[in-house]
Amino acid sequence: MKKLSFHPLTWWIFSGAVAVAIARANSPVFAIAAVGVMAVIVFSQRDDAPWGRSFNATLKLSLWIISIRALIGVLIGVPIPGTTLFTIPTLPLPAWMPGIRIGGAVTLERLNSSISEGIIICAILVVFGAAASLTSPHRLLRVLPIYLYEFGITVVIATSVLPQLVSAVTRIRMAQRLRGQRTHGIKAFKRIALPLLEESLARSLDLAAAMESRGYGISKKRSKYRPIKWARVDIAVVIAGLAVVGLS
Amino acid sequence: MIKFSNVSLIYPNSTTTVIEDLNLEIAEGELVLVIGPTGSGKSSLLRLINGLVPHHTGGILAGSIEVDGISTAQVKPGGLAHLIGIVGQNPINGFVADTVEEELVFGMEALNLSNETMRKRVEEVLDLMSLAALRTRSIATLSGGEQQRVAIASALVAHPKVLVLDEPTSALDPIAAEEVLSILHRLVHDLSLTVVIAEHKLERVIQFADRIVHINGAGSAVVGTPEQILMNSPIAPPIVELARTLGLKEIGVSVREMRRMTQEFRDSHAVTKPDAPTSSTKACVSVKGLTISYGAKNAVNSLSVTIYENEIVAIMGRNGAGKSSLLRAIAGVSDTASGEVIVNGTNSQKLHSKQRRESVGYIPQEPSDLLYGQSVSEECKQADEDNQVEAGTTFSLLTQLVPGISGNTHPRDLSEGQRLGLALSVVLSANPRLLILDEPTRGLDYQAKRVLIKMLVDFARVFNRSVIIATHDVELVAELATRTIFIADGDIVADGPTIDVLLSSPAFAPQVSKIMSPQPWLTVADVVRAIETTI
Repeated sequence: MKKLSFHPLTWWIFSGAVAVAIARANSPVFAIAAVGVMAVIVFSQRDDAPWGRSFNATLKLSLWIISIRALIGVLIGVPIPGTTLFTIPTLPLPAWMPGIRIGGAVTLERLNSSISEGIIICAILVVFGAAASLTSPHRLLRVLPIYLYEFGITVVIATSVLPQLVSAVTRIRMAQRLRGQRTHGIKAFKRIALPLLEESLARSLDLAAAMESRGYGISKKRSKYRPIKWARVDIAVVIAGLAVVGLS
Repeated sequence: MIKFSNVSLIYPNSTTTVIEDLNLEIAEGELVLVIGPTGSGKSSLLRLINGLVPHHTGGILAGSIEVDGISTAQVKPGGLAHLIGIVGQNPINGFVADTVEEELVFGMEALNLSNETMRKRVEEVLDLMSLAALRTRSIATLSGGEQQRVAIASALVAHPKVLVLDEPTSALDPIAAEEVLSILHRLVHDLSLTVVIAEHKLERVIQFADRIVHINGAGSAVVGTPEQILMNSPIAPPIVELARTLGLKEIGVSVREMRRMTQEFRDSHAVTKPDAPTSSTKACVSVKGLTISYGAKNAVNSLSVTIYENEIVAIMGRNGAGKSSLLRAIAGVSDTASGEVIVNGTNSQKLHSKQRRESVGYIPQEPSDLLYGQSVSEECKQADEDNQVEAGTTFSLLTQLVPGISGNTHPRDLSEGQRLGLALSVVLSANPRLLILDEPTRGLDYQAKRVLIKMLVDFARVFNRSVIIATHDVELVAELATRTIFIADGDIVADGPTIDVLLSSPAFAPQVSKIMSPQPWLTVADVVRAIETTI
């Protein structure tokens, strides 16, 4: 499929609209459908750039969130009566904590509700991950008004340093594999997280320093070398997004 | 143009002063070189010029710094953007746009220049830095040298009067480095631009410098001409060491000067061909038909090579020639490699945990990737346990390599050289049969480099191990390697004893050999040996 050039705000507006629609519809089926649509757009339109991988990262993160939510929902919380799937031993709790139990019967309804809530939350996350995948953070910065200075710096750092971290993880993992260490599990997580955190801080500071020394935010007005214009295709996408909100 | 009066600097939570009572005046059109051991405050000095220190980093600054009459205490770094262009150590970390053209205009847009001015200046700077062919390219796809040029261009485009560069050539191959430096030289002469550079690889920049600021690590600094400073400084490029060894009254800073001064010496020695170094015939690594591809592009094309025991092999080549990919494949962690890599009889892809540590040691480009402990001693203890060696082995290795590191220090607070030392001792504690280093001398001063060279030579000779090292540092290769492999576009173009490979290409010849040609001497040590044998 041919890659089109979009206005940097287009996909953020569209994703925002879809996220609102997902929240309003409150239906896991709709949420999954939305994620599917976003996936098609992302895989056909994203650039081969570091930020292009944010979508995959949010997808992976979502799977974690859903499974942890399901586990906690089953173990702790208010029981919902219904079909019992299986029963796990109950942990006795003091009498002053009525209504809460740990363990006990796991009902289909309980599992169902915690998974579908998880899906809706994660779908919103993934939809924004898609927008990040589709938009170059640098171009985004160029269209943001200058009075959003602090915000602008934060956005650029978050969106350009975070994706670079994805490649840093690969690099650090490789180095640790070379040291003969395992690269999965909780211990390995700690081993990777520390150098990663260090690097992200250093990189963020470097970038902020570079922006500052080039005069970013000094002038209240900002000239434009090649103004980024709204094209017809951008307007079409935005209208589609608003229509989704309207219909949900 | 730049005036430091009684400048002292202390960082927060630190007890030592970085710079103490520095007085320095840099005139317009001067090219000033800042030298000093790693971690001595060179970068801090550079960043003081446009006020990034202390505005951006914190710290207490005493005294005053004026640039073109403006005090940096009064203005934020952004307010000096039209006056000072600054290029950081890793330009890739400072890029704010995706394409070359967008990157160039970023600063001008921020300064709210008119569209006409911007168009004119973009064209100007594209020509000046020979970037016209790259204008629409994505920055991420450029080579290291090109990125460095883009970074300099985007600083120049605001028409600054001062250009500040932090190690502009440390990541570049010799040819790209020469290109960047000759452009700087031209700017100084044509536009009377004031340039301040910090650099470790003095052999590359020394001939361009008008004056040198030498920071000695304890806060004090000396300013003088290159000849004055280098006469007695412990930091000396091979060219100066040669002058000292030969007992010349003056030192020359360029090959041309030194050739004139050593004419007599060269003529008094007959040209002799040195014996080829003997190496074992027992293979340590054998690579057969190795191909590594990223997408449609091949980083390494069906490459075959055998590396023997007690060899120190240097792999050289342009930025992006496939050196790192090759090293990763030899170490067995490249997922996109096809072909066969046998290290000590085992396929290197299949190595794991203890067996891997004992067979291949690997120091990546960022040695800190290997480290995750909260302190140096924790890191060493972990290595001792992993390799089941006596407690304290790793730490004593470390003190041999870089003496004077406290066990309580956090690895992050170590200097570049110390961190490399720590990573090396962790890797060496397993006593691997093959050691691989990827670009180890980035950011290392001469002293740290000497320690590294001695250690690697001992490792290869005494323990009968093999070392493979990828580097751009010609002088390091000359001192260290017994064999040099030259790679271009994923193919081996030259492979042979270091002396043959280095002498056959003028761009990659070390300084001593350029001065002493046609004598086949690569290093000061070679010259000393030649003197001794003739007496």
